[in-house]
Amino acid sequence: MTFTATMIVFALVGALAFVGSIFTVRSSKLVHAVLWLGVTLGMTAILFVQLGAPFLAGIQLLLYVGGVMTLMIFGVLLTKRDGDSELKTEEPSRERGALIALAVFAVLAGTIWLGRDALQRTAVPSLGTGWLGTSLLTRHLVAFEALSALLLAAMIGAIVIARRRDPDQPSEPKES
Amino acid sequence: MTLFAWLSSILVAVIVLTVTAFGLWWERKLAGRMQSRLGPTIVGPIGLFQPIADLLKLVQKEPIIPQRADRALFWLAPPLTTLFALLVAALVPFGPKLAPANIDVGVPLIIALGGLALIPVWMAGWASHNKYALLGAMRAVAQSVSYGVPLVLTALVPVILAGSMNLNSIVAWQHRHHWLVVWPVFLGLPAFILFILAMLAEANRIPFDIPEAESELVAGVSTEYTGMHFGFIYLAEYVHTLVGSAVASTLFLGGWDGPFGPSVLWMVLKTCLLFSVLYWLRWSLVRLRADQLMALAWKWLVPAGLALVLLAAVWTQTPWGR
Repeated sequence: MTFTATMIVFALVGALAFVGSIFTVRSSKLVHAVLWLGVTLGMTAILFVQLGAPFLAGIQLLLYVGGVMTLMIFGVLLTKRDGDSELKTEEPSRERGALIALAVFAVLAGTIWLGRDALQRTAVPSLGTGWLGTSLLTRHLVAFEALSALLLAAMIGAIVIARRRDPDQPSEPKES
Repeated sequence: MTLFAWLSSILVAVIVLTVTAFGLWWERKLAGRMQSRLGPTIVGPIGLFQPIADLLKLVQKEPIIPQRADRALFWLAPPLTTLFALLVAALVPFGPKLAPANIDVGVPLIIALGGLALIPVWMAGWASHNKYALLGAMRAVAQSVSYGVPLVLTALVPVILAGSMNLNSIVAWQHRHHWLVVWPVFLGLPAFILFILAMLAEANRIPFDIPEAESELVAGVSTEYTGMHFGFIYLAEYVHTLVGSAVASTLFLGGWDGPFGPSVLWMVLKTCLLFSVLYWLRWSLVRLRADQLMALAWKWLVPAGLALVLLAAVWTQTPWGR
């Protein structure tokens, strides 16, 4: 087995994604955790590029960068004012978490192992962005639109929950 | 990666950094003239070496870290701001062959990387442990998230018309047809203006620079920074504006397309021209209030952007738009 540049990059990116995800869960500061999450997501984007899906990588960056930044705002708004508050990671949940992680890993690894023959036989076709767009808006149109409606509903729900006010409190003065 | 790709990457980085250094001098000259001053005159002929003197001064200064700052993030953030701003430049085609990263998803990636540049700004503001810096960072993020939407929408107009997300193909399409601001003018021109506005807001420049409004927030994110750390944040702002101008020229002003001469010259010329116009705006306008800024983004730019995308899609189906 020879080591190619692609493999070295894959190993580095994979390792960084792994380390990032560990730190995301273990960081005691919320902002650090969110930044590590950003590292993990960014590395996943690079993995997408290596797998021949550059469009997915671009969208991953585009969406999750916004997501990460919004999370940071929440992190500051919801933690203590000085921004130094330590997050408590519940100790009893650790074993259960590890168990679930292992189970998911086993399922994924098992699936790949069982399907290894098929993976080796068929070369992955590099389908372009055009193909992706066309199939989303023709073959998978119903699923695509249903997902959009679902996300819209979730968004409206989030706004309604976020705007719920204490009935005793006077409502905010209207902006003029 | 071929040797040519390496060389063109280096060449583009050199072009961007040279023009940025020159841009620092140019802005101060321009601002001086607009205010009946001379601007820098002492260092070098007509003050041309002023940026080098500035750099030397910044390098000599002591880096001070506030006692309660988050040391790692505080150190890491400023170089990252410059790095991310420069990263976008790799995707911009400076000539038909001079495109370091000629990839099919150029447009989404450019916008993604432009948004990424705000994470180190946030890191800097949060790590400083200073309320003005934190407020500046919060404003920067809120602004970037809001203005990212019209930015994506207006960048979609050239994508729809040219039928490609590859920046080089978009320029090639404009080379074959017309520059987008010229024709179809009712789509290209408004989209161009909206794009410029959204881009200025993403780069936190006047009239959208509330994250570092000095009358309210001292210096916003960069309040606690000294020496070269401050230099990096300062530099990132210029690189961001410059690369933004380059992206806007690519998407709407025909990029490297020109009537004669080498293409890279036209690209640099258009970028510098747009850069100057942005600084002209900067020294002419006052900054918007935070609520006005949000109202502009959500009540005007987003609906207008949506309408433009819709119109562009319709236009491609008409006999003139094919």
